[in-house]
Amino acid sequence: MIIGVTGTRLRRFEYGGWIAVALSGAAMVVGVLIAFGEAMSPGNYTNVQITWFHVAGAPGTFPNGFTLVMGTLVDPISSLMLVVVTVVGFVVMLYSIGYMHHDKGLPRYYAELSLFLAAMNGLVISNNLIEFFLFWELVGLCSYFLIGFYYEKPSAASAAKEAFLVTRIGDIMFLLGIFLYFSHYATAGPNGGWAANGFVFVHGTTPFLAPSIRGSSTLITVAGIMILGGAAGKSAQFPLHVWLPDAMEGPTTVSALIHAATMVAAGVYLLAVASLFLGFTSFDSLVIVAIGGFTAFFAATMAVVHPDIKRVIAYSTISQLGYMVLAIGAGFAMVGLYHLFTHAFFKALLFLAAGSVIHALGTQDLFKMGGLKKPMKLTAAAFAIGGLALAGIPPFAGFWSKDDVLSSVYSQLGAHPAYWPFFVMAFAAVFLTAYYIFRAWFLAFSGDRIRDPTLPAAHEGPWVMQVPLVILSAFAVGAGLFVFLPGFQGLLLGGAGVAGIPPAYGTADVFLSAVSVLLAAGGIGLAALLWGNGRVFSLADSSVAQPLRRLLLHRYYFKVGYDWIGAKGVYTVSRAADFFDRYVIDGTVHGLERMFGAMSDRLRRMQSGLVSDYAAYIVAGLLGLFAILLVVAPFLIARFGGS
Amino acid sequence: MSLEEIAFLFLAAVALVTAVAALLVRELVHTILWIAIFFVDLSAIYFLLNAPFLGVIQLGVYAGAVTVLLLFGVMVTRKRIFAREAATGIGPIPLALALVTFIFVVSAVAELGQTERPIRSYDPSYLSVNLFQTNGPWLLLLGLIMLASVSGAIYLVREGRE
Amino acid sequence: MTTLILSGFLALSAGLLAISIFGILTRRNFILLLIAIEIGMNAAILNFVYFAAFSGATTGLDGQAIAVVLIGFAATEIAVGLAIVLALNRLKGSINVAQAIELKL
Repeated sequence: MIIGVTGTRLRRFEYGGWIAVALSGAAMVVGVLIAFGEAMSPGNYTNVQITWFHVAGAPGTFPNGFTLVMGTLVDPISSLMLVVVTVVGFVVMLYSIGYMHHDKGLPRYYAELSLFLAAMNGLVISNNLIEFFLFWELVGLCSYFLIGFYYEKPSAASAAKEAFLVTRIGDIMFLLGIFLYFSHYATAGPNGGWAANGFVFVHGTTPFLAPSIRGSSTLITVAGIMILGGAAGKSAQFPLHVWLPDAMEGPTTVSALIHAATMVAAGVYLLAVASLFLGFTSFDSLVIVAIGGFTAFFAATMAVVHPDIKRVIAYSTISQLGYMVLAIGAGFAMVGLYHLFTHAFFKALLFLAAGSVIHALGTQDLFKMGGLKKPMKLTAAAFAIGGLALAGIPPFAGFWSKDDVLSSVYSQLGAHPAYWPFFVMAFAAVFLTAYYIFRAWFLAFSGDRIRDPTLPAAHEGPWVMQVPLVILSAFAVGAGLFVFLPGFQGLLLGGAGVAGIPPAYGTADVFLSAVSVLLAAGGIGLAALLWGNGRVFSLADSSVAQPLRRLLLHRYYFKVGYDWIGAKGVYTVSRAADFFDRYVIDGTVHGLERMFGAMSDRLRRMQSGLVSDYAAYIVAGLLGLFAILLVVAPFLIARFGGS
Repeated sequence: MSLEEIAFLFLAAVALVTAVAALLVRELVHTILWIAIFFVDLSAIYFLLNAPFLGVIQLGVYAGAVTVLLLFGVMVTRKRIFAREAATGIGPIPLALALVTFIFVVSAVAELGQTERPIRSYDPSYLSVNLFQTNGPWLLLLGLIMLASVSGAIYLVREGRE
Repeated sequence: MTTLILSGFLALSAGLLAISIFGILTRRNFILLLIAIEIGMNAAILNFVYFAAFSGATTGLDGQAIAVVLIGFAATEIAVGLAIVLALNRLKGSINVAQAIELKL
């Protein structure tokens, strides 16, 4: 497996597209085989690790010291993720060959995409939180590179920066969360404490920090919220959602792979791992449910009016991620991961289908498209399958997992009445989802002609773009049915079983299913009524709805608000800093400057450029260190006494 | 004085002399001959320390491959392979640095005292178990780095690079 | 079972290290530099083998295993080093490091 993962790391040839495809294909085979092996022996897990470094314990603070390890863990949930990442990764690589054919900087593209895949694989098989965090940052970095792939475009460059900065807020919260857990649980738990244990994800029948250990500490509640913050940044959940729609400036393939199927799912994966191995307090769970449910609804409303095909799908991604977070908050981590699994396939399908439309027409504006059904039959069918799966129409993939999400939350309503509003929001989002995705479909594909006559005639992409659509369509239809395979059940059950989490799949409430299917069908019907057959529904003269539409188009003015905080807040702070800087620091600096100027002049002469001289400096420096450690320090301690 | 101690003292003396000689002679080819003796001598020390597997590897990799590589390097970089190097002075600063290093290390070693310790002997087959199981990741890392450096080396010597 | 003094071996390593440092600091020929580096590297590898041989615990084999890996590293280093020698020779027509001083300020 390590070979499979590192394989993607070792590609780097000019126009390495096909090499990248081959290697990611190999990684896919390996990933699927691993998952298959895991499915055959449910509850089994493999942990390989080496010690990175060990800090000796100090009496009183850390009796056991702590150890950092580097390792890989293959268990049911990571093999589930491995399937998602490698399959979607391979399909997107293949698609890129056709889609990116005319772009410049292809080696850069494939190198970054391969690096991303390697980092993502590393992330899902990490066996401890620190390693997880390293890979987490790496995928964030790759995301930044790839959003800014068209770096000549100012909007792409600023979108990349925005994504990087917003997710960085989440990352910092995540890191703080790790520290809080560390400080609190350095010694609690099995094997001499979590920290002493190397932050490793320990398999047991209960979460590592069992409720009795968790207690009702405020600190640990805050730590849970911090972890949630990290996940929210990566998965674009409510307050930190602004970056994902703008991230659509990157190539569509990147959107499909990173911003639909894998990287944004890393946040959900983190939450699931945290809930399986650490456990959340009840307040944390409520906050997670609230954020998930609210985001699911909130993002869906913004998708309703947007004219850009990719951004509509991006909002639907945010909304679907909200469902996953909701399920995890309600205590059903495996249900959340199940939805993640199905969602990855149909969302990548939607993006790639949208990508072939964009490839054919060169525009992303839905109102310029239309009538594409005839020239692009395959794409239309693929988009429709993806849409049906997203809307949750049986037997497509989305139905099974979304139904499980809803019924799992429903089962908790009795115990937690506070979940009600978010349950209702999630239900309302079912209707909106079906409506907006079919609005997009009807706008793009129905009717008999393209609305904007200046656009070129549409055509299907080359075979490398069609094959991925077919593969993903098959998954979008079938992935939900996997749940009826005993092996796949083993994966979900195995993941749940080891951590004592109720599985609750396939136990959907018939009434709930019926209602959600009716809602979805209603949404599709409304979309057909308003937009079907090339019609364009206009709100222009409806004065009541117009402000609402503007509000939604401007995304509730969230970005404006953030910009204002950034501009005003930071500006004020900067003014104060500037004053301090000018009068207090500069005075000091100018004095020091002269001193260093004189010193550097001497130092400059040492830079002879001759390696031997540099080596001599190194040796002299090393000896100086030895001298300090062995001679000066003992002398000082003997003279002044060690405390 | 036991046989082993005599052997050790002899081998250590040879190692030091050949190392110094390798760096001080002025024909590069002679340097390489001296360093070959040095490598063989070290391999003998490995055998003395009951590490026959390492001894064989030392012979194969160092005395064999590295020596030939170095010889090859000398052959392609000069027109007459037996040409003498220009004499280089023995600066006082390098000499001082080397001596200070030696004194530091030896003073640290001196704390160990002069107790005689038994030399363990291992079954070489356990070494392979250790190498591929306990320390497997290191071996993997070695493979990766070798791959990377081989491609790097090929890149460096590629002809016609502007 | 034979017994030997550990300190003697360590002193040998220290001596080799000193020779290596001296070589690195004084030699101007790139190949000689490489050889000096190899001597230092061997001194380090020797240490691993000593401690493997003299260690009382069964983990002593780790020392030998790491020595194998290090020999591999050293061989790799020689390969890259000689590639640099060739590149330098092509670039400057000589492998004297005193001529490769573009880093000078």
